[in-house]
Amino acid sequence: MVENPSPQALFDLWKKQIEDGTQAWTKLMGQGQTADPATFWRPYMDQGLAAWSKVFTQGPVTPDLMTQWKQFLDQWIAAWSKVLEQAMGTEAFAQALGKYLDQWLTVQAPMKKVADESAEATLSTLGIPSRSQVVGVARQVMDLDDRIERLEDRLDALMTRMDDLFKALGEHEAAAARRAAGREAPPA
Amino acid sequence: MAEGSGKAGPEAAAAFEVLGRWHEEVSRNMLRMQHFATLLLHPEEPEVGPTPREEIYRKHKSRLYRYASSRMHRTPLLFVPNLGISRPYIFDLLPGGSFVEHMTRQGFDFYLLDWGVFGPEDNHLTVEDCVTRILPRMARKVLESSGARELSVLGYCMGGPLSACFLALYPDVPAKAFVNMAGPIDFSHAGLFRCWLNRKYFDVDRFVDTLGQIPADLVRTGFKLLKPSMDLSTGLNLWWNLWNESYVKGFKALNKWANEYVAFPGEFFRQWVKEFYQENRLVRGELTLGGRPVKLETIGCPVFVVGAKEDNIAPPACVRALIDAVSSRDKEYVELPGGHISLIAGRGAATHCWPKVSSWLAVRS
Repeated sequence: MVENPSPQALFDLWKKQIEDGTQAWTKLMGQGQTADPATFWRPYMDQGLAAWSKVFTQGPVTPDLMTQWKQFLDQWIAAWSKVLEQAMGTEAFAQALGKYLDQWLTVQAPMKKVADESAEATLSTLGIPSRSQVVGVARQVMDLDDRIERLEDRLDALMTRMDDLFKALGEHEAAAARRAAGREAPPA
Repeated sequence: MAEGSGKAGPEAAAAFEVLGRWHEEVSRNMLRMQHFATLLLHPEEPEVGPTPREEIYRKHKSRLYRYASSRMHRTPLLFVPNLGISRPYIFDLLPGGSFVEHMTRQGFDFYLLDWGVFGPEDNHLTVEDCVTRILPRMARKVLESSGARELSVLGYCMGGPLSACFLALYPDVPAKAFVNMAGPIDFSHAGLFRCWLNRKYFDVDRFVDTLGQIPADLVRTGFKLLKPSMDLSTGLNLWWNLWNESYVKGFKALNKWANEYVAFPGEFFRQWVKEFYQENRLVRGELTLGGRPVKLETIGCPVFVVGAKEDNIAPPACVRALIDAVSSRDKEYVELPGGHISLIAGRGAATHCWPKVSSWLAVRS
């Protein structure tokens, strides 16, 4: 039984080793120590592959092996995903990402400026409206749209008030007519 | 002799059974190859958004759609999804796999707000504009179009906090019920994004001032980074299920959506990151929109909050916070298995999530 553990038991054991490794890795990172990921994680990879080779050699080759292989890959991906998630949730990663983005922007800003200016100049020479001009027109259209909508709102409000006024006037006239009819009617 | 044949019988049967299973496996592999070749050589654009709809209203890039339904419930439902990031056809992906189809079949008068695809001309759009200018108008149009006196609001993802801000800011809106599906409220629990967007490391002003808008490619990179193994597991699952035609059909539609990212308007991104992620103003009651404070306790209508256990965009604690923040007496929180997308697409959503949302709303509509 111990000599021939089930594939699931082997994978579970390997998964647990990965999780322990993740904890150790996170602890190392938290202490600000640097470790070569390849050297650190190599033994875990080897253990996983060894588990898989054992599965292949210990019984008859059936289609179940395909399912087991899929399960192994799923667990492998899930384990690494967890490792990555933990590593990416650290202050150190956030700092590194921020630094990278900052550098990217430093390169991007002048490049974008030059590209925008040269495109603008080329289009202007060709007599074609530039991107910024088209954007400007689009914004003006949007502003107009907003104005029309505000006018519509005011018109709606006015219409509602007028409806109320007409209604009140109608009621007033009806009441006056009733009063007049009451005065003209012969006494009962 | 009799003993020998008795032993050979089960062995032969077992061998025959293994052979049968190998035959099945080989057939599946043939189908895998066939579907793989079709995917590669004749890639067809999947048809999405099958439920019939009508455009009711448009404002700039935003559109309000009304979906055909039997209208068994009096109260219309305004569905407010996320702005930017992705397209809203995920809510109406395929026949039999569509949230919109489910809700309309349950008899809801369903309205979807599509925020649209933003260009540089929309860079000035802010969270404030969405809450104080677009949402009130959309709610009014829903009431006008349905002829109802009240409406229910359903926010998904970023649509959750946007709807919450809207309802909190306009207590006179006749809201019958409010549903928040995976909408972040308490950003102190907002997971990896909260960590990466920390103001110590991420200068949002510099970002917006340099780029203007946040391009779709950058949005894609951010979301891919959130789960770097996603593409690998998607590919593996595709290979595993490639023999199954209906899986391939679903994959094609979902994959189309998953690779169609939408840019963020610059000013919206600035306000979203600063006031929500970095300063967590909404749940603290420190958010001001249109010159007025947004107080979540103003919300008093029935509230239903749905969180997803493995949501790494809006983790459950971040979503659940709405329950404690509102003053409603009728409020309920459910946590369902799966991730952010599992609430609105896939078999799990149709089984676990949609019936819960529709049955909760039905008795309040």
